Amino acid sequence: MKPRIAILAALGAFIVGLSVATFAELKLFLPPILRGAVVTLQISFWSWLLFVSLSCIAGLGRWQRNLLVRWTATVYIEVFRGTSLLVILFWLFFVLPEFGIIMSPFVAGVLGVGLNFGAYGAEVVRGALTAVPKGQREAAIALNIKPRNFVVRILFPQAIAIMVPGMVNLTIEMIKATALVSAITLVDITYASVQQNQLYFRTLEIFTIALLLYYCFAQFVRFGGAALEEYFTRHLAKRR
Amino acid sequence: MTDFAIQFDKVCKAYDDLDVLTDLDFAVRKGEVVTIMGPSGSGKTTVLRVLMTLEEIQDGVILVQDEPLNKMYKNGDLVDADKAHVRKIRSKIGMVFQNFNLFPHMTALGNCIEAPMYTKGLSKQEASEEAMKLLAMVGLADKANQYPSQLSGGQQQRVAIARSLCMHPEILLFDEPTSALDPEMVGEVLKVIRDLADSGRYTILLVTHQMGFAKEVSDRVCFIDGGKIVEENIPSEIFENPKTERLQQFLSKVLEAR
Repeated sequence: MKPRIAILAALGAFIVGLSVATFAELKLFLPPILRGAVVTLQISFWSWLLFVSLSCIAGLGRWQRNLLVRWTATVYIEVFRGTSLLVILFWLFFVLPEFGIIMSPFVAGVLGVGLNFGAYGAEVVRGALTAVPKGQREAAIALNIKPRNFVVRILFPQAIAIMVPGMVNLTIEMIKATALVSAITLVDITYASVQQNQLYFRTLEIFTIALLLYYCFAQFVRFGGAALEEYFTRHLAKRR
Repeated sequence: MTDFAIQFDKVCKAYDDLDVLTDLDFAVRKGEVVTIMGPSGSGKTTVLRVLMTLEEIQDGVILVQDEPLNKMYKNGDLVDADKAHVRKIRSKIGMVFQNFNLFPHMTALGNCIEAPMYTKGLSKQEASEEAMKLLAMVGLADKANQYPSQLSGGQQQRVAIARSLCMHPEILLFDEPTSALDPEMVGEVLKVIRDLADSGRYTILLVTHQMGFAKEVSDRVCFIDGGKIVEENIPSEIFENPKTERLQQFLSKVLEAR
């Protein structure tokens, strides 16, 4: 017991001391980092919308029987899953302008992250779609339910319950991956921290704050995801 | 117009290399209750599945009320059926599955009104009124707002029966409807099926291992093995006076197991 209390006390004293020592400069470097956090949140939000939509479209595409649709979805998934996100961002931001396609760093960042994670998400969606028991489709056929209604009203609501844990994982992963957009001149948490560190040399404090910010976002997603999972599985028999 | 509800003419069905149905000839009259029995792998469930268009056949013709299921007449020629034709024929047939296959995210009532609303375009109120009547008929009016996971197996299967009746089929297919149930729940499901059979409104095709029940409700029993009908007759003849050696073997094994 005793050593643990000592360690905790030491840690507490360290944090208090650090806060006191840092307090004077905190008001100098914290606001820019928080502005970076807003950029990270904006990028994350739009990338997430793109990532989830692409996941559903490509996931459904791979699940389809139509060869052209399935092939297109497969090419998309393989291209973006097999390439580095950082290089994709460079491509969108530095290479495409050579072909006359110029986009703002924000758009390039959202596109890069969304396309990349959409490819991973598509596999989660496809897996969830295949995990819905085959009998559901047979019952729908026997009741003459139109294929589109089957997908929208029967297949998807059940698949969502299965895909939530995988998608929550990817969402957390995606928020952290947005750090890479700092490489295409966007001032997000990571870029702002590097800048402030160069100005004030409070390395420990600045990067600890950056770490905590990402951690808070991840926790937020985690609890949101748990609530979603609970919501979507509330009527389903619990799996043993 | 013949008085046949279902006719199979030299129907062949194979999975890859495995022949399941081989030149199957088989017919059911309107209003007839026919039980299909046979050892596992004999193709008895496949007969129902190809009728319900869950499986495609490789050769032969299936007629449902004199109309081909997988073919259609177009300008006098027999061509492959299009979707509209398949849907039209399919609407005459209802199927009840071994594992119920209820939609788990919908209530009992929701399960029953889904197809009437989204396939037939009924209003929610119209669909619900009719569904409640049918749920009452299977004795589950008080369970209408329960989800499948809150119901016992027997109750789930009765909801599944009500659900298929909501689409007004003329032909009912039962694929081992009591095989997934605990023994004490078999009776309640069989009672519902018996009522349907007695009503005389439906042509019923039943695959079951419940020999006693088959004997009571069926007009005719077909023993199928190796994708062919080996013997068919009225129930009393099938069970008390089997003619083929294969059926005699089958019955003695089934009775031994009791």
